[in-house]
Amino acid sequence: MQILDLKQSYFELFGLDLTFEIDLKRLSSAQQRLQAVYHPDRFVNASEQDKRLSVQQASWINEAFETLSKPVKRARYMLELSGLELNDESETTSDTTFLMEQIALREEIEECRTNADPLGCCDHIMDKLRSKADQFGSEFIANFDQGQLDDARISSRKMQFIQRILEQLIDFQLELEEG
Amino acid sequence: MALLQISEPGQSTAPHQHRYSAGIDLGTTNSLVASVRSGQAVILADINGEALLPSIVHYGTDRKLVGKAAQEMQLVDPLNSISSVKRLMGRGIEDVKQLGDVMPYIFITDKTSNVPRIQTATGNISAIEVSAEILKTLALQAEQSLGDNLAGVVITVPAYFDDAQRQATRDAAKLANLNVFRLLNEPTAAAVAYGLDQKHDGVIAVYDLGGGTFDISILRMNKGVFEVLATGGDSALGGDDMDHAIGEWILAQANFQSVDARLSRQVLIAARAAKEKLTKQDRVQITIENDEQQWQGRIDRDQFDGLIQPLVKKTLMLCRRVLRDANLSKQDISEVVMVGGSTRVPLVNQMVAEFFQRDLMSELDPDRVVAIGAAIQADVLAGNKPDSEMLLLDVLPLSLGIETMGGLSEKIISRNTPIPVTRAQEFTTYKDGQTSMSIHVVQGERELISDCRSLARFELSGFPPMTAGAARIKVSYQVDADGLMSVRAEEKKSGVAADIVVKPSYGLSDREIEKMLRDSMDYARDDISARMLIEQQVEAKRVIEAIDAALASDGDSLLSKPEFRKIKQARDKLQKEIQTACADKLKKSIRAMEKVSETYVARRMNASVKQALTGKQINQVKI
Repeated sequence: MQILDLKQSYFELFGLDLTFEIDLKRLSSAQQRLQAVYHPDRFVNASEQDKRLSVQQASWINEAFETLSKPVKRARYMLELSGLELNDESETTSDTTFLMEQIALREEIEECRTNADPLGCCDHIMDKLRSKADQFGSEFIANFDQGQLDDARISSRKMQFIQRILEQLIDFQLELEEG
Repeated sequence: MALLQISEPGQSTAPHQHRYSAGIDLGTTNSLVASVRSGQAVILADINGEALLPSIVHYGTDRKLVGKAAQEMQLVDPLNSISSVKRLMGRGIEDVKQLGDVMPYIFITDKTSNVPRIQTATGNISAIEVSAEILKTLALQAEQSLGDNLAGVVITVPAYFDDAQRQATRDAAKLANLNVFRLLNEPTAAAVAYGLDQKHDGVIAVYDLGGGTFDISILRMNKGVFEVLATGGDSALGGDDMDHAIGEWILAQANFQSVDARLSRQVLIAARAAKEKLTKQDRVQITIENDEQQWQGRIDRDQFDGLIQPLVKKTLMLCRRVLRDANLSKQDISEVVMVGGSTRVPLVNQMVAEFFQRDLMSELDPDRVVAIGAAIQADVLAGNKPDSEMLLLDVLPLSLGIETMGGLSEKIISRNTPIPVTRAQEFTTYKDGQTSMSIHVVQGERELISDCRSLARFELSGFPPMTAGAARIKVSYQVDADGLMSVRAEEKKSGVAADIVVKPSYGLSDREIEKMLRDSMDYARDDISARMLIEQQVEAKRVIEAIDAALASDGDSLLSKPEFRKIKQARDKLQKEIQTACADKLKKSIRAMEKVSETYVARRMNASVKQALTGKQINQVKI
């Protein structure tokens, strides 16, 4: 069987330029083209060794796809490729304005509970969060392109915060809809 | 009887390289087997023409019955007639207790195993063994119908099955001696059967409400690729629960003095019959009658709808969740495919159509569509379609995590991650000279370990002793294309791989499986005689086909009328005996048939050689 070069970057694997703004359709069709070759279903009648290799390579392709398809993961992967060592646990932000904003956003979500139109209230916050996510995304691109990796890291961190609140909001919406 | 099959010059008799394979829908209520024959996926019926095999095994004192025969024993001998075991696959005794009176059996647990067993006249039986009996029966049915051994099978499982449930299904196949190409998710199988990849590119939802499980999957189709975007459901929600809702209603109405296993089974059977009739009628009459007590009543569609509405609502809630997971809205869904017998219930159709605001796809038989899809994939995996572009890409249905301090779950791989997938984690030792550690893996979305399903404890040992904090132990979690997890570990500095002992929380250990395999050898004699019968039946069919073909081509010219009649008589006798005779008798009749046609064969040989000599290529006359 063909062996993938596991040293190449995820961008190279899918034939994409190293940039934050990737074409998700191209990513997904490249992923399917690769899985068509390496997926374990193509090795059902192969030797045990080839079966194992296929699981490994298909896993790697999936991991690469997951990383590039999620904006936060993609940003952090780009930083890693540029030589930054990222450590989730020790990383915090010292930007107090940003922190205050986060706390305010969480409170706003909680207040929707007592709002006359709780779902409409959620939609409103959702719009706000999406535009924040876009804003920090653009910030990341600008910082990264100028080689300001530490600033880019802070932007990616903010993207992550927003992403978490977004997920919380969606959970909260479901909770409301389900009564 | 090879001599009868003389090929024409230039025609090859080399057996074609087709490898037989089958798709098996191992259902809660009924099971089916299908295969691709001459390019067409068909359900393989049993010798009596029955396609649906009731998923019931009766364990008597001296014999086992599977399917319809076992179903007939349910009323007479409810405790030994085991049904709906799919709900017990990969489950522990606490889960069984939660099922309540759904399972009217006597459960045994002992300290040597995590798997609950059901007490029967044959002995204590696990759900895995019951499933293995059903699989064996289906495989035999398939081989009988195809006339050849199966190279491998695809077995379907609910997309929402966790690791333990998938592993239990794999183990059942192992006990049944089947080569499993792949475990396939039922919703994906349904999408394959509908050929949706051929028709359009787009995003579809598959709503699958079976006897005991509910699945909702969102798939994206693109040029032969079926990509699961998100999946959700409830592995203990289905038509059985509707039966129980009606059953409880009956019990409340009837107010019986006492309810034993037999009466409760009777009530359930009546409840199911009422449910089935209510798919077509507006009201039904229910009669419960046994020696001491009796009740008669009537239930109409509205009452029934009222009883099951909470259940259907629960499925819609799960639909909403899965749409969110896929990051899609209802408007993005271009088709909704309905699968599973319980989608015949009018209220289900009505509420699902309202939810998605569109017409539903349900033209294929919801009981058969999964087996058909599985057969199509099995055919591709067997290598019969080298040019096929079909590829099924799946996701992990439930997040995998490990137990951390304070009984919390730390997610390692989150749900709806495409599989296969591998993730690694690094640990260090906290004591000087520590050479082992233990990892508890759970599956589920909740934060507390106690709210997730425990999968297994992995005991890692054999690290070289080092000072505390110096070792770097890399643990890799791998989920394969079947959704099954395995763990590997290595100390990175020394490169020493850990020895791993797996203690499954609800599964059978390797030792238990081995023992079962050995035990099954004791029953193998039954299996061998069943297999021998099938072989003779297949042989008899071949002989008849060959003689029919020969008689049609030159029977009139090479045989006198009495000779012809004699051969025809032997042929008809054999034909009749295929259904009725035992293996030995059938073998004798085949031999008799061969003897009667000996002269005919010789004449055909001569004629053929003569023809070939007057023609040209003698080397092409194959016999």
